[in-house]
Amino acid sequence: MLTKADSLRIFAVVTITAIFIFLFLSYDTLKKIPDQTNESNLTDSAIRGKNIWESNNCMGCHTLFGEGAYYAPELTKVYLRRSEEFIRMFLKDPNAMYPGKRKMVKYDFSDGEIDDLVSFLKWCSEVDLNGFPVEPPLKKHVTSGSVSSSVSEKKPEIFDKLCLTCHTFGGKGNRLEYAPILDNIGNIRDKDYLRRWLTDPNSVKKNALMPKFPLSETTISELVDFLSEQK
Amino acid sequence: MKFKSQQISYYFFATSMLLLSLQLVYGLIMAFAHLGYDVLHEIIPFNVARATHNNLLLVWLLSGFMGAAYYIIPEELDRELVSLPLAFVQLIALVVVGVTAIIGFHLNWWEGRKFLEIPRALDYLVVIDVLLFLGLLGLTILKAKKRTTTSLILYFGLFSAGLLYLPGMIDTVNQTNDSFWRWWVVHLWVEGVWELILGSMLAFLLIKLTGVDREVLEKWLYIIIGLTFLSGVLGTGHHYYWVGTPQYWLFVGGFFSALEPLAFLGITIYTFYVYNRRVIDHPNKIAIMWTIGCAVLSFFGAGFLGFVHTLPGINIYTHGTFVTAMHGHMSFWGAYAMIVLASICYIMPILTDNKFIYSSKISKYAFWASNIGICSMVVSFGLIGLLQVYLERMLDLDFFVIREELKFFFACLICAAIIFITGISSFIFVFIKCGLPKTAKFNKI
Repeated sequence: MLTKADSLRIFAVVTITAIFIFLFLSYDTLKKIPDQTNESNLTDSAIRGKNIWESNNCMGCHTLFGEGAYYAPELTKVYLRRSEEFIRMFLKDPNAMYPGKRKMVKYDFSDGEIDDLVSFLKWCSEVDLNGFPVEPPLKKHVTSGSVSSSVSEKKPEIFDKLCLTCHTFGGKGNRLEYAPILDNIGNIRDKDYLRRWLTDPNSVKKNALMPKFPLSETTISELVDFLSEQK
Repeated sequence: MKFKSQQISYYFFATSMLLLSLQLVYGLIMAFAHLGYDVLHEIIPFNVARATHNNLLLVWLLSGFMGAAYYIIPEELDRELVSLPLAFVQLIALVVVGVTAIIGFHLNWWEGRKFLEIPRALDYLVVIDVLLFLGLLGLTILKAKKRTTTSLILYFGLFSAGLLYLPGMIDTVNQTNDSFWRWWVVHLWVEGVWELILGSMLAFLLIKLTGVDREVLEKWLYIIIGLTFLSGVLGTGHHYYWVGTPQYWLFVGGFFSALEPLAFLGITIYTFYVYNRRVIDHPNKIAIMWTIGCAVLSFFGAGFLGFVHTLPGINIYTHGTFVTAMHGHMSFWGAYAMIVLASICYIMPILTDNKFIYSSKISKYAFWASNIGICSMVVSFGLIGLLQVYLERMLDLDFFVIREELKFFFACLICAAIIFITGISSFIFVFIKCGLPKTAKFNKI
């Protein structure tokens, strides 16, 4: 029959073994983290970005590497999913992007702080997370049936990441009720109008719901050419 | 009560009750924000509500553990605490640090690391406060003529919990390292050393409430905490699946966290085994209900609900979703909140010399309403989590589209929370009705 002394011995042996293995694996992990996370790419700017991330408790709403709260989107791959322009625009004035939707605190970040946060999120997007986040298995991939291959060739790279955040095109995108479908936009808007709109929506229509994006002239031209051809 | 210094427990428990009621308020603020009513956004944005909700939980549980320890350790050692005034100082310091931290959160002063939001400057004060607490109890144990296994395990658990707070204070520049050390604290607390505190408090309550020989109880307590450490320590790996740490954690974490339910199942079986062999019928039925409830729901919440999403193949979909919130609510309630409430139910009538808690229908209502309430909340969280996994992780729909779909279940969550809140309010009502600790007989001596 098991005595109290026996069970104390079992407890001690099991616990010490488990702790020993855990400490060994932890030591090995700490040695391997720099490689797996590309620590050499971790710039001073990205480190400052991490401090901004922490000192404002961004994890209190967002998740990063899947850790945090579930009130706001997961940001591990946001740098790849959206675009630098999107992140900059969003951090400048979070409430401009999705008017009437869930609000983010307006932090009034300086341009330097926004640079730092962008570097931090860029670094995060490159860390090897053993396959997380997983490729969505049931995602509907729109086939080229509705969008001809010539269209996709001319499509500026930023279009999917930025415009489809609110608009839809060829059945793809996240339709917010106030954002028009862009499939035949060329029929109703000419190049001049589109250029003025993309430069500053407010100059075309007072209190426009679409925010002004910090887009370069070249990007605007590419987008105008592409959109005006959608007839 | 046997010793004058045990009265300090009352004040720790009262602090716990106050913080618990505040925690509920912040929980409601968050649930309403999810439902689309974020009217308090300008004053209490979501991240403030969340940090406050979590930290209030930690502080009220710690305050409850400390209160219970200040009662249990003198009782077990059969001697007074070394200093009652210093114990009051320790309580006041704890409250001051807690209140400062919570006000700080509202002013954007924090560390912004999940569960460890308390700013660094206050971390040092926490350490000093915990050292004072451990010092007081440690000296009491050293000076005692007799020591029991239960009291030593309780002290060992509290001591290790204090020690494990330190890795959370390591500065890092790499987000992965940050996460790595954060789980040393959070995981090794709740799935490691806190279970020692749970186990020893449970053993103490069972000894008192069933009259079963402590040798039998303490023998099995060793086996249970051995299982806890075996599965819990290496089970830390389930936090290292997707944060930039090596792949072998998928295997180590998956295997050992699959064993974690066994430790909790052990606790459940142990409790029933002991209860069925009871040699006395203790009149404090309410304390027995909470004790057995704790044994059952800790297995369900921490054991079973933890297990269902711990395997890497499932966790890759559920990691970072409301499925985690489901598990979190049930396990903290079942394992830690209930053991604190069970201890309060057992200790309060002795401290206040008032048996109101035994006979009052309200204390029965408190038990059933809070448990039915939390179980319904957990079902709501589960549905929210499953729907979120399907829409977000499998279909990859837009964030706002998904949040619109989840709103109905958040309304269910709030209804369940209201039942829960009536239960907790009744508990606090009974607590207040019991009155203050009776120290008159000590004053005469």
